Amino acid sequence: MENLEDLKMMAEQWSNQGIEYLQKIPQDQLYAAVGVLLFTTVLLLLSIRLVRRTKSNTVLLSGLSGSGKTVLFYQLRDGSSHQGTVTSMEPNEGTFVLHSENAKKGKVKPVHLVDVPGHSRLRPKLEEFLPQAAAIVFVVDALEFLPNCRAASEYLYDILTNANVVKKKIPVLLCCNKTDKLTAHTKEFIRKQMEKEIEKLRASRSAVSTADIANDYTIGIEGEVFSFSHCCNKVTVAEASGLNGETVQVQDFIREYIKP
Amino acid sequence: MLEQLLIFTRGGLILWTCKEIGNALKGSPIDTLIRSCLLEERSGEVSFNYGAYTLKWTFHNDLGLVFVAVYQKILQLLYVDDLLSIVKQSFSEMYDPKRMRYDDFDETFRQLRVEAEARAEEMKRTKQVAKPLNGVKKQGQVSKEETKKSNGEKKDDGDKVSVLSNGNHKMEDDVANGKENSADNNINSVGVDVSKLAKLRSKGVRGRGGLRKADSLGSNKGSSKVEPPKKATKKNRVWDDAAAAPKQEEKLDFTDENGDNGHVDVVAAADQGESMMDKEEVFSSDSESEDDDDDEPRSDEKPEAKKKGWFSSVFQSITGKANLERTDLEPALKALKERLMTKNVAEEIAEKLCESVEASLEGKKLASFTRISSTVQGAMEDALIRILTPRRSIDIMRDVHAAKEQRRPYVVVFVGVNGVGKSTNLAKVAYWLQQHKVSVMMAACDTFRSGAVEQLRTHARRLQIPIFEKGYEKDPAVVAKEAIQEATRNGSDVVLVDTAGRMQDNEPLMRALSKLINLNKPDLVLFVGEALVGNDAVDQLSKFNQKLSDLSTSGNTRLIDGILLTKFDTIDDKVGAALSMVYISGAPVMFVGCGQSYTDLKKLNVKAIVKTLLK
Repeated sequence: MENLEDLKMMAEQWSNQGIEYLQKIPQDQLYAAVGVLLFTTVLLLLSIRLVRRTKSNTVLLSGLSGSGKTVLFYQLRDGSSHQGTVTSMEPNEGTFVLHSENAKKGKVKPVHLVDVPGHSRLRPKLEEFLPQAAAIVFVVDALEFLPNCRAASEYLYDILTNANVVKKKIPVLLCCNKTDKLTAHTKEFIRKQMEKEIEKLRASRSAVSTADIANDYTIGIEGEVFSFSHCCNKVTVAEASGLNGETVQVQDFIREYIKP
Repeated sequence: MLEQLLIFTRGGLILWTCKEIGNALKGSPIDTLIRSCLLEERSGEVSFNYGAYTLKWTFHNDLGLVFVAVYQKILQLLYVDDLLSIVKQSFSEMYDPKRMRYDDFDETFRQLRVEAEARAEEMKRTKQVAKPLNGVKKQGQVSKEETKKSNGEKKDDGDKVSVLSNGNHKMEDDVANGKENSADNNINSVGVDVSKLAKLRSKGVRGRGGLRKADSLGSNKGSSKVEPPKKATKKNRVWDDAAAAPKQEEKLDFTDENGDNGHVDVVAAADQGESMMDKEEVFSSDSESEDDDDDEPRSDEKPEAKKKGWFSSVFQSITGKANLERTDLEPALKALKERLMTKNVAEEIAEKLCESVEASLEGKKLASFTRISSTVQGAMEDALIRILTPRRSIDIMRDVHAAKEQRRPYVVVFVGVNGVGKSTNLAKVAYWLQQHKVSVMMAACDTFRSGAVEQLRTHARRLQIPIFEKGYEKDPAVVAKEAIQEATRNGSDVVLVDTAGRMQDNEPLMRALSKLINLNKPDLVLFVGEALVGNDAVDQLSKFNQKLSDLSTSGNTRLIDGILLTKFDTIDDKVGAALSMVYISGAPVMFVGCGQSYTDLKKLNVKAIVKTLLK
């Protein structure tokens, strides 16, 4: 009992001392100090909120020049490819709700779609956008596939071995475009051909040197023929037709990874 | 008549095409224009020819629009430039990023076109009236030029413009731009020929043909004796002594019939470790952001004008000036051009690059808090990266494997002028390929220079790879053909063909080279150029390409496919030769030789070079 009383008395003494001390400080200084404290805490909270990784909603449309990326971009955005396209010199960017989902009610998260030019001279542009990508759509011309097979597979190989893609396990959709034409190849054929070509690339690129400055990582499992299932990020295949507006599979893919 | 007029965004969407001229264009001229001209940083040029069409273009850099007019090459339409600029003005007034269709522009366009055509008609008429006046004056001009040896080319052009404008005094010009443009075009089309003629004359000694060349090489006496070598077979190449008897040639040929001379030093297989091709490029990463503060003290050369310019540009940057004009860009571009030239970029190339960057920045809105110089620097950096990034993949290993599957050897021919390092770098490439478990064979097709075959033989012995040689004074094309056959027989994956160095002006030697390439159809024609070369790089590459295309027999002309840049270690930061060579030929730099041992072979690091160029 006495201890408690003693403690109480000590506490009272301290609080008195504290109040005295506080009262000694001029009022303005006190208010200023409190204000600064509040301000910094607010700032700290805000910055923590911002820095915390909000899930990115960027989808990249990449592929060789002439495969139909710009047409696909405008189809997804407006539902039509307007009056046609020419070789892109700059990326097309837009944040919008996919055209077919305009009618949907409720909160639909807008997608930040980026159409990166496919011309080989503009290849460095892709690297600018890769860090913020949540999903990649690699568009392949199903009509003129065989002449461009090698170039397409090299491009896809570069994407699949890019450090950003491997570390963040960014999913890739291999989209076979122009399937409305009669002589277009099937997606199975294209998938097999790409796997074969990438297998050859694997052999030639990562042959002897340990520090291969061309690619950051190697893909596939040693000793086995390459298959897309070996990649640590998910690679799927789909068909589309940019001119006709059949982009359902692409939209499903986008929606799968950009959740509203 | 105008075939087509297109308006499209830089991102590739076509906004408007002229519907009344509904002709479908043959081929794909627009795509070709974009790929081979605009993306190659040649947007400063006046026009582009594709098949039967000529294309002219203009940019609206602020809105990111491109306006292209296509017309038949044989017609010389004067009003196209004029029309393009008016169309640009009126379209940009009605442009809205949200709108995709601009059907109402059809009416406006029709009007504009009629007006432009009317103006062109009028100008043609007045020009015909002023023609006799011009004719006399022009003759006077011509004779003046011939004596002046075209030193003041620009001044002469200026005189001509003033003459014409005197004649057309009474003309009202609504669009001053258009008139001068088309008038200039006409003047230039006549003026250029005359000035070109004078230029050729002033070149003097470096005229056409090997004949002139031999003359200048100090053989004053034996000039007539140089005539005989122009026959098909490359016979005795008489240099100084015209009286050099054929017997002496044999005496000078020290090739040992047996191969070795008595004692054979068993040379151990050269294994100097990993070729630098496979090593990671470690370069000090300086701060990425361009140190703008460094620019200021460096402007010591022109203190006053520069200081004023800097201050006003800072002021402008804060207030955010509306649009960039040519006059604003000029000082920054000029400084940039000087800087490029100090880094050993050929003058012509630096000029064209600056024009291209100017074309892409004119009319663009300056973002606030950015200086003009930093905008220009950024645009130039983009342009340089675009040029130096290869247009096609340069994965040789892949090509070698592809050729292996087809059961034929992959043939590489090394060409270049004298003394650039073809044989040395051939050995380096052989070493690198060998390290990647590719079987290589060398072919000694330099049958002219004494010691060339021995040199290759020594390399082959050190690397322990087979060499195909036939001694000296043989036809290189035939030697190469036999070498390839031998390689197919013994299953070599790659054949590296060494050729003799030759000057780009030497007609018979270029013909011999062309014959070698046509006969053997190599997979890769590698031009070996040294990094020390200056303005001559442009001449070398363009003449090589020209001769290869002129003298090619079969359908598909083989041009230079790749560049091997040598002696890179001798230049510290004057790396401009790489840029000149890539710009003029369009071929990517596949290898960089940076030393004299086998491992000194690297890949080109585009970002490092661009940074060094703009430092």
